[in-house]
Amino acid sequence: MPSIELIDINKSYGAVHVCKGINLTIADREFVTLLGSSGCGKTTTLNMIAGLDDPTSGDILMDGRRVNDLEPVGRDVAMVFQNYALYPHMTVAGNMGFNLRLRNFSPAEIHERVGAAASALDLSHVLDRYPSQLSGGQQQRVAIGRAIVRHPKVFLFDEPFSNLDAALRNRMRAEVKELHLRLGVTSIFVTHDQEEALSISDRVAIMRNGSVEQFGTPEDVYADPETVEVARFIGTPQVEILECVIDRSNGSNTVLRCGSASLPITARQAVALGTRTEKVLVTIRPEYVTIGGQGTSATIRDVQPTGPSTLVKLGWEGSAIMARLNGIVRLTVGETAHFSIDPMQLMLFDNESGRRIKTKS
Amino acid sequence: MAARQSILGRAGIVLALVVFVFAATGPIVWLLLSSVLQQQALTSIPPDLSPSSFTLANYLEVFSSAAQLGRAIINSLIVATFTTALAIILGAPAAYALARLEIKHAGTILLMVLAAQMFPAIVIAIPLFITASKLGLIDTKLLLILVYLSFNLPIVIWVLRGFFMGLPLGLERAARVDGASPLQTFLRIVLPISLPSLFAAAIFAFIEAWNEFFFALIMTRQTAQTVPLAISAFAGQYQTMFGQMMAAAAISVAPIILLTILLRNTILRGFADGMLKG
Ligand SMILES: Nc1ncnc2c1ncn2[C@@H]1O[C@H](COP(=O)(O)OP(=O)(O)O)[C@@H](O)[C@H]1O
Ligand SMILES: [Mg+2]
Repeated sequence: MPSIELIDINKSYGAVHVCKGINLTIADREFVTLLGSSGCGKTTTLNMIAGLDDPTSGDILMDGRRVNDLEPVGRDVAMVFQNYALYPHMTVAGNMGFNLRLRNFSPAEIHERVGAAASALDLSHVLDRYPSQLSGGQQQRVAIGRAIVRHPKVFLFDEPFSNLDAALRNRMRAEVKELHLRLGVTSIFVTHDQEEALSISDRVAIMRNGSVEQFGTPEDVYADPETVEVARFIGTPQVEILECVIDRSNGSNTVLRCGSASLPITARQAVALGTRTEKVLVTIRPEYVTIGGQGTSATIRDVQPTGPSTLVKLGWEGSAIMARLNGIVRLTVGETAHFSIDPMQLMLFDNESGRRIKTKS
Repeated sequence: MAARQSILGRAGIVLALVVFVFAATGPIVWLLLSSVLQQQALTSIPPDLSPSSFTLANYLEVFSSAAQLGRAIINSLIVATFTTALAIILGAPAAYALARLEIKHAGTILLMVLAAQMFPAIVIAIPLFITASKLGLIDTKLLLILVYLSFNLPIVIWVLRGFFMGLPLGLERAARVDGASPLQTFLRIVLPISLPSLFAAAIFAFIEAWNEFFFALIMTRQTAQTVPLAISAFAGQYQTMFGQMMAAAAISVAPIILLTILLRNTILRGFADGMLKG
């Protein structure tokens, strides 16, 4: 049975339509990320799942039961907030045990649960301190500790690491992932950082303007984006989008004319394009672009060594493309290079709707 | 150039502060000065400030006729303390409810709260007096407490509501997820972190009640007489004993000044919070 279902959820604040018909089905024990740029409605969606906000319309089900009218405590969800929201007048132990005290757990039980969570989160030595006496990373862990002592049915995380520096963020990511493996609690994690989303999730829901644009595994949303926006949003570096016309002048050999360059496509893609005559949007992941030998000529616009690979931006009249080359490659900006692509890996999108033009396989 | 401008700017600020400090402390200094000067020295122009004209006689006089002032101070302490306590105990939950809970007609309620204290005192004094005397409450401390509550409570509600609305929502949301009811959230999360603002509101209510003159004059005779009335009693029918009046006034403002000095950090924090977040 799915753990959480959102059915046609809409949310408006006055005239502002923030969530537009969100449908999500989240399996038991799954780790799902809501990913999207700031203001797209992630927090609003999470708050509705938590029971902190009411949807304007639509149903929220947990374990098959409608929970729209239940308070957060009735839904048995625990939440980690973006700025931690630790109670400043309580010690670490007080913060972590507050929800247990509200539910009249015995002091011994509270002591045991808080102690266990604290040792799992490396907080045992700061239990008597106040939040203001902790580092950012420790405050973050207290917020997580407060959530896990409850043994809830669902964990909700709202951009929990956005105030941490990069190194700490990576460590906390690993800790949360490890925690999820150990406890196996259904988790929903909000972030605007696509790398974070891909590295931590079973499935990612990519949100845009209050709608879910695509919901799939990290591999799927990267390799098989359903819209041009998803293709652009997922992956580092961001891909360049080419606007190309379909050129069928050369008999059966259809090509795409993108500015002054022309790119070959496969027979299957030609079939998928059918008889359409309007422009199409085209992109390709940088790892499928190679430089050297023959191929289309372009100017090197930028070279970014990243260590294991080198990113190269190639430009020509009217367009640009990114290439990822293995290892350190010494190239000079401004010089001419020849590139070729793997046509199998080209991704084609409708110019109007931005939807993927799929090849049948 | 920039340095000179900033020096000029600083000079301006310092000057403004000096003027403000004189304006604020001037009356108090004058009050203290006149309470220790002999009547002739005080009323001569300019006042005679030679050492020989200083005296503690005024204070001794005030204390020897102390029964009056002593009772007034006790009355004022009781009235102001109860008014303040009730204003906070009733006002804080009301303010929180109006700030955070979905209450029907909250706007109307707020307007009525405010309207209750918009009438000029003189307009309500007579009907209030008649009602109070029918209830046999004239010249009782209870009546003063009720009357003072009627104008302190609205102020406390408005000030604290502004403060509560400015609190970031995060803590209350966290408490809700932790399973706290609105009342538990208010008592165990919101109140403890609002202490400075509660103190500031309480001091304000206390001073209002301590200094009130008009209703005290109308609603009391002897038993429930408060400090401002006791002080005014030194303005006799034939002769005003300025020195004694000032000595009595100095004694009566002492608790408030003391309170303010002792709690100044808390009060400042409370007002700053209310202003920044409000
Ligand atoms: N209480 C509210 N009243 C009005 N508008 C709101 C409220 N909360 C959020 N919004 C609006 O809804 C949109 C989505 O907000 P949010 O869910 O916080 O986005 P995200 O978490 O994805 O950054 C934003 O445009 C925001 O301004
Ligand atoms: Mg957000």
